[in-house]
Amino acid sequence: MTALTGGQLLRRSFRRHRGRLTATTALLCGHQAAETLVPVLIGVTIDQAVSTGDTTRILLWLGVLAALFTSLTLCWRFGARLGVVAQQRETHQLRIEVVSRVLDPRGHRTGRRAGEIMQVATSDAERAMYAMHALTLVPAAATALAVAAVVLLTIHVPLGLAVLIGVPVLVAVLQVLGPLLTRRATAAQEAAGHTTALATDLVRGVRALRGIGAQDSAAASYRRSSRATLGASLRAATTNGVYQGTSAAVSGLFLAAVAGFAGWLAVDGTLTIGELITVVGLAQFIAEPVRLFAIAGQMLANARASANRVADLLSAPTVLTPGTRTGPLPDRGVTLRGVTYRTLTGLDLTVGPGETVGVVGYEQRDCDALVELLSGAVPPEDYEGTITVGGVPAPELDLATGRREVLVEHHDVALFEGTLRTNLMVEDPAPALRAAAAEDIVAAHPDGLDHPVADRGTTLSGGQRQRIGLARALAADPPVLVLRDPTTAVDAMTEERIAHGIAELRRDASTVVITSSPALLAVADRVVVIADGHVIASGTHTELSEVDARYQEAVLR
Amino acid sequence: MSELLPIASARRTAAALWTEVRALPVLGVLTAVAAVTASAAGLVAPWVLGLLVDDISAGADRGDVLTYAAVIGGAALLAGVLTGLSAVLISRLGETVLARLRERVLDRTLHLPAPTLDKVKSGDLLSRVGDDVSVVTTAISQTGPTLAAALLTVVLTGGGMFALDWRLGLAGLAAAPFYVLAVRWYLPRSGPFYAKERVAIGDRAQAMVSALQSAPTVRAYRLEAGHTAAINDRSRAAMDLSIGVFRLFTRLVARMNRAEFVGLGVILATGFLLVREDLVTVGAVTAAALYFHRLFNPVGALIMEFDEVQAAGASLARLVGVADLDRPTGPAEVREPADGTLALTGIAHRYEEPLVLDDVSTTVPAGTRLAVVGASGAGKTTLAGIAAGLLEQERGTVVLGGVPIGELDRARHVAMLSQEVHVFSGPLIEDLRLAKPDATEEEVWAALAVVGADGWARALESGVDTVVGESAHALTAAQAQQVALARLVLADPTVAILDEATAEAGSAGARDLERAALAATEGRTTVIVAHRLTQAVMADRILVLDHGKVVESGTHDELVAAGGRYAELWRSWHVADLGVQR
Repeated sequence: MTALTGGQLLRRSFRRHRGRLTATTALLCGHQAAETLVPVLIGVTIDQAVSTGDTTRILLWLGVLAALFTSLTLCWRFGARLGVVAQQRETHQLRIEVVSRVLDPRGHRTGRRAGEIMQVATSDAERAMYAMHALTLVPAAATALAVAAVVLLTIHVPLGLAVLIGVPVLVAVLQVLGPLLTRRATAAQEAAGHTTALATDLVRGVRALRGIGAQDSAAASYRRSSRATLGASLRAATTNGVYQGTSAAVSGLFLAAVAGFAGWLAVDGTLTIGELITVVGLAQFIAEPVRLFAIAGQMLANARASANRVADLLSAPTVLTPGTRTGPLPDRGVTLRGVTYRTLTGLDLTVGPGETVGVVGYEQRDCDALVELLSGAVPPEDYEGTITVGGVPAPELDLATGRREVLVEHHDVALFEGTLRTNLMVEDPAPALRAAAAEDIVAAHPDGLDHPVADRGTTLSGGQRQRIGLARALAADPPVLVLRDPTTAVDAMTEERIAHGIAELRRDASTVVITSSPALLAVADRVVVIADGHVIASGTHTELSEVDARYQEAVLR
Repeated sequence: MSELLPIASARRTAAALWTEVRALPVLGVLTAVAAVTASAAGLVAPWVLGLLVDDISAGADRGDVLTYAAVIGGAALLAGVLTGLSAVLISRLGETVLARLRERVLDRTLHLPAPTLDKVKSGDLLSRVGDDVSVVTTAISQTGPTLAAALLTVVLTGGGMFALDWRLGLAGLAAAPFYVLAVRWYLPRSGPFYAKERVAIGDRAQAMVSALQSAPTVRAYRLEAGHTAAINDRSRAAMDLSIGVFRLFTRLVARMNRAEFVGLGVILATGFLLVREDLVTVGAVTAAALYFHRLFNPVGALIMEFDEVQAAGASLARLVGVADLDRPTGPAEVREPADGTLALTGIAHRYEEPLVLDDVSTTVPAGTRLAVVGASGAGKTTLAGIAAGLLEQERGTVVLGGVPIGELDRARHVAMLSQEVHVFSGPLIEDLRLAKPDATEEEVWAALAVVGADGWARALESGVDTVVGESAHALTAAQAQQVALARLVLADPTVAILDEATAEAGSAGARDLERAALAATEGRTTVIVAHRLTQAVMADRILVLDHGKVVESGTHDELVAAGGRYAELWRSWHVADLGVQR
């Protein structure tokens, strides 16, 4: 994916809703034009009716006022609705794009924590789309100024010119603060994002904190971050205050100048009293569209900062460039030949059809690297040697085929919100549950397989979670199944049952069990021992236990 | 598992905010003064313009016009300064209150009792400290200052109109019932809508957290599309609600416009009559009309912000709901245990129906190790939680050194490592200092050395200052366990409870971790939930649990000799150990 800037992202969003945004802009322009005519009408009514005492005229002008308000309100109602629909739909679309990007099977190199990604997909997507609102506000405000200018020029040309020149100057003066506003706003948002990420991280680790009674020191660490964020927010607020104050003062001074000029003209009768009121009313009203410009500027600044973060995430490179080869594959099993990756140095490992291979790694990192390779998460440029799956070089396989062929159930079992049934993901999970010695978990609940499971399976015990995860992997029945320490949280007798259950169920398929459990190793057809990044021994568990002292030490209980 | 944390009532939310503001008296008063004078300075211009209109009609000269212009200009400068100042002060007040609130929310969340924590949706927990805080932050930093200024302008301008002429003031008030009706039409309809919207957003957060946290599993099972679709559905539902809320809002604005028209029309008509009867001047009617026109935006803003305020209010109520939770208070009088002897007597506990633990009694003499052995679901983890004082048992007592566990400083005396390991994002040293905030770097290194982690820690790019965690340097499962043990060493408790803490190590590291766990608990009264029987062998005494009852207890040799449940376990273990195939 080509790199996307925040500006490009915003333009793309605008294009996707061009029709709606155009209609919104037109209607909001109409609304602003009507708003501008309100002070004009006040002037005319006072001039024509109030100061003359003519009853017909007051009724006429009140009728015109009613008509003006009707069009004003209808324009806004439908214009704003369309705008919000565009804004909401685009926010939703961006959020889904971010989620799809992060969940892309090819992986992502964003280097962001889940909490930060959440922030980008929620708050930043929302803030970025404030730009749509800002975009429609600008022409609407410009329309108000244009209408005001026409009315003023009709009344008195030099006065009209003064306003036409004065207003852009006002806007320019206010724009001077723009970049600083953006910088401060960005800093405040980033600090807030960091503090939020810290909060979610601490809350995720709350059980660890509680265990050692560290809630207070965690809260103190959050307080420090919160105070730093407060500092950044206050700096942004100060800049904003200067901006607001300047804005109020400048538009007020402008009003004074216009009132003085118009009053000067009214003294010698060049302007009627009604025209004076209209001019002054308009000059006072003009502060409003000018303020809209200011608001739009501020909104755009915030939106730009957020759009940049969304764009950054969307254009983060993928980790993998998968091949195109799909099944059926010529062979079965998986082979690693001379693979060097991280701590692995020239690893050779073959798992044939119908074979269950136990892997004992003396170094945790070797096992981690092996699992990473087998899960297909490592791009070929990051390792040396070859990996073949079903007789085909792994990089040539398309992603779905590769992952259908080789399934890795990670040690950290992640269950999802739903029921036991939805987590097992098959019609008939009974054989898999039996093999994973997990039938009792289903039996323990009156609602059986429909028993609800919380996100990450937090309502189950560690052992239950592990067995349901194992059952899920067995139920998926992949040609090659990779299990990483699948029985660390179950008792010895259950572990025995599981070992035999796996051996029975996976008799005709290929299975890799990375473990130090003698029960699991005893049922493997072959055991491979990895040390210093390569295979140092292989044989059955019995053979290795008898002759190899270091092996004994590693798997002995 | 699917419960929500409490949400405060509107009254309680307001009261909580008021309490916070009152805690900052000087800032509060300064803010109020600056905001009121800023709005008052804004009233000068229309008044002076009314005078100008009358004076010109009466034949004023140019000098008078210039004086009036100068007064308007001076007032504008003053208004500018005060507007800026009050915006800054209002933000300062709001942000400070928010910072205190979010800190308390996090504090309460971290102190949630264990049973509550297990029942609450993780998405709800995370959106309280995340999303809700963000919503309120936006409201305070962006809408707060505008809202306050608008409110003051409305009140002061209303006063200004009465000062011009009471009849004109009354005419302006004709709009009030229409505004009130508009808001009263709106509020009962929008409130429930916002509540639904918040729930939908919470559900959306839950779906996202679930997929993002478990990304490797999602990839392995090729569930990307399913999870994306689920998030899509929930996000769409939230979006539809948001659009619905806004449609309702546009109908409110139509009612507001009606009120504006009524007010302006009545002022002009009344002015017309009063001028005809020569009761007020044209200038006064002009000023009144201009005043009322000036109110359109502040009143609109008030309602507009009201909308945002309501949305923020929903989030705020969720924050206050958590902030108001009782912080578990320590004992009234902290007692010191005489020694490290841990005695559990007649412990019984249940979550729903059947008893998970039934009349469990045991004593762990100071400095000795007790291993708890049993099948999955035998009640080991529950017993560990109760022994650690994290779960409150239904019956029975837990006593440390002669003092019931509820009457001592639990955090100082008892530590527990649970099955869930978490590495905190940030520098490694900060993670470890969570256990002992004032630990020196030497102490941290010493703790790492005790658990055998100093080797790899030294090899890290920047040693203990290396940023670890999800997005930075990811630690292995065994390293994460060692970090957890090192935290225990730094916390230096009298009693250590290890719940399958070494189990997560996987193949190679388990043995090292067992050594590390032994070193970390040296000299402490220790309860180990063991499923690796080596942990049991190394213990001074073993307790065998079955379906919540103690079925055996004794030393390893005694139990093997007795030929009961433990001996059976040991045999199956040992057989596998010898690699005898069946």
